[in-house]
Amino acid sequence: MRRQKAMDQEVYRFPRSRLGALIERLARDYRVVGPVRRGAEHAWADVGPGAELALDYPTTMLPPRQFFAPPRELLFRFRRGADGRYTCHEPEAERPVALLGVHGCDLTGLRVLRSFHESSCRDRVVTGRLDRAFILGLACWAPCTAEAFCRDMASLESEAPAALYAWDLGDVLLVKVLTARGREVLQDVTALEAATSDEQVALRHRLRVRHEAFPSHLRFPPDRLAVALEAAADDLLWEATADRCLSCGRCNLVCPTCTCFDVGDEGTLDGAAAVRFRRWTGCQVPGFSKVAGGRDFRPTRAQQLRYRVVRKGKYMPERYGMVGCTGCGRCIAHCPTHISIREIFRQVGGGGGAGAAA
Amino acid sequence: MPQVSMIPAPCRVLEALPQNAHDVRFVVEAPPLPAAAFAPEPGQFVMASLPGIGEAPFCVSALPGEGTAPGTFELLIRRTGRLTNLLTRLRPGETMYVRGPYGRRVDWERFEGASLIVMAGGLGLAPLRAFVRRALLRRDAFRRIDVMVGARSPDELLFKDELAAWKARRDDVHVRLIVDAAREGWGGRIGVITTLLDNFEGEVDGSHAFLCGPPVMYRHCLKRLLALGLYEGHLWLTLERRMRCGIGLCGNCQVSGHYLCQEGPLFSYRELRQLREAV
Repeated sequence: MRRQKAMDQEVYRFPRSRLGALIERLARDYRVVGPVRRGAEHAWADVGPGAELALDYPTTMLPPRQFFAPPRELLFRFRRGADGRYTCHEPEAERPVALLGVHGCDLTGLRVLRSFHESSCRDRVVTGRLDRAFILGLACWAPCTAEAFCRDMASLESEAPAALYAWDLGDVLLVKVLTARGREVLQDVTALEAATSDEQVALRHRLRVRHEAFPSHLRFPPDRLAVALEAAADDLLWEATADRCLSCGRCNLVCPTCTCFDVGDEGTLDGAAAVRFRRWTGCQVPGFSKVAGGRDFRPTRAQQLRYRVVRKGKYMPERYGMVGCTGCGRCIAHCPTHISIREIFRQVGGGGGAGAAA
Repeated sequence: MPQVSMIPAPCRVLEALPQNAHDVRFVVEAPPLPAAAFAPEPGQFVMASLPGIGEAPFCVSALPGEGTAPGTFELLIRRTGRLTNLLTRLRPGETMYVRGPYGRRVDWERFEGASLIVMAGGLGLAPLRAFVRRALLRRDAFRRIDVMVGARSPDELLFKDELAAWKARRDDVHVRLIVDAAREGWGGRIGVITTLLDNFEGEVDGSHAFLCGPPVMYRHCLKRLLALGLYEGHLWLTLERRMRCGIGLCGNCQVSGHYLCQEGPLFSYRELRQLREAV
């Protein structure tokens, strides 16, 4: 049914040869960013001459949240006046960003980011960037890594918040219009030709094949995680898994839905000027939960690991309405000791052993 | 829509009064915000900073116009690191940078007509002082008021003059002090703060208790107060966390998904016992 529905909406053919024209068009209003090859990997970077858009990328190490809540961001500058007092000056808004080729997991991640920033306290800086961004979503045909479990986390087929959503059929992409702005931009670079019946058949076929290509790792829906994690609060699994955690915090840094930051100052030696900035930190980094007197309110690695997983699977859906894990698999792929949130979910959710899952 | 800003306001230091070797009591001019905007409640905190050095949360230990001149408030700052080392060197006339107040505003009507028990250990008296001042300012609204203060040594006791002034009010407020250890000359009690609850003569029924102190104190005091029969929803604790933003964003103060900088740091034990890793 869903596949049929996709075809009912505005879906146009987009010749691959027009990608350059699309980038040029977007560059008029946006800083254009997409997956770009970096050695054996891909990273989000400005596309343009010498940095070719690689839509066939598997995934990136850092998720696109880096463009909305940057790893290090200036909050404001202090300037010392003649009376010796400092005044604060916020930076001007930068160019809005156009992200090309965002997969379902990362589209979901951006929605989670918004759900958080629109909750208790609006971070107008982050939501403003999300509001102004132009996003081209891109369907995946096969799991990008062995660690990905986007199908389990219901993010594989995510399309919002994209303005345009593309299925890559090789020489031609089929592009669905999701917003008025998306239509406007598409219209500027193509003739808005409907997909041919051959192309429609090809898309349906690829979507069927794709469904088989993504294995199901968890045998339960993500909305069951909250209850499962609550029941597993005292599970020995936390200690068993945390015994090999190095507290390096990589899982926090590569997560598309982590939002925690630290605040710091830097000043010139003469004290005439200073900056206050925020930078990413995370609940797995030593010292995150330290308070005065050297005390730590989550002192053990097991508590810290549990906090990360329970926040994603229970606290975030309860408070912000969206599960905090998109199944992108980054934290698993980049963990130096192969700690797997998917395996933890499978254990607490009673998903059965490897044999049972087969 | 409220805008998020972490921009502080310059605030003049009016008095800097050393309490002992490492604690300084500051009387500070309130931020020059629209007058009504800076109206902290007991239990709330501000973020205080020095440009180029850093920023940290401090509880408000005296509210504007509550035993202070209007438009001024007080902070107690302990020298523990680079920022507090420089903050505690500020002299009258110099400037610190303040934003806030932040944290939960508790409706005081719920305490009216009740007896109050205040238990402060060490630095815990800094936030609880604002509670005692508020209660004494509206003395008729409450029944018996008990204030119990513990410190490592007599030298470490904070707000000594004020404690003496409270003591002088006799039946208005029952002040009792205790120290972990003392040299000769200390005529008061020695021991842990919970021993002040032995043979407790105050009122239990409907009483509200306010606790702040080192973590080890909470467990023991809570147990004693519960054993006395106080209601879980009437046991109020202020928790310490290292907030970086104060506005529910940075995540450093999260407990079970709750952002303490907005939902706390004052909680009743009834609320807290549902939060894992809170105390």
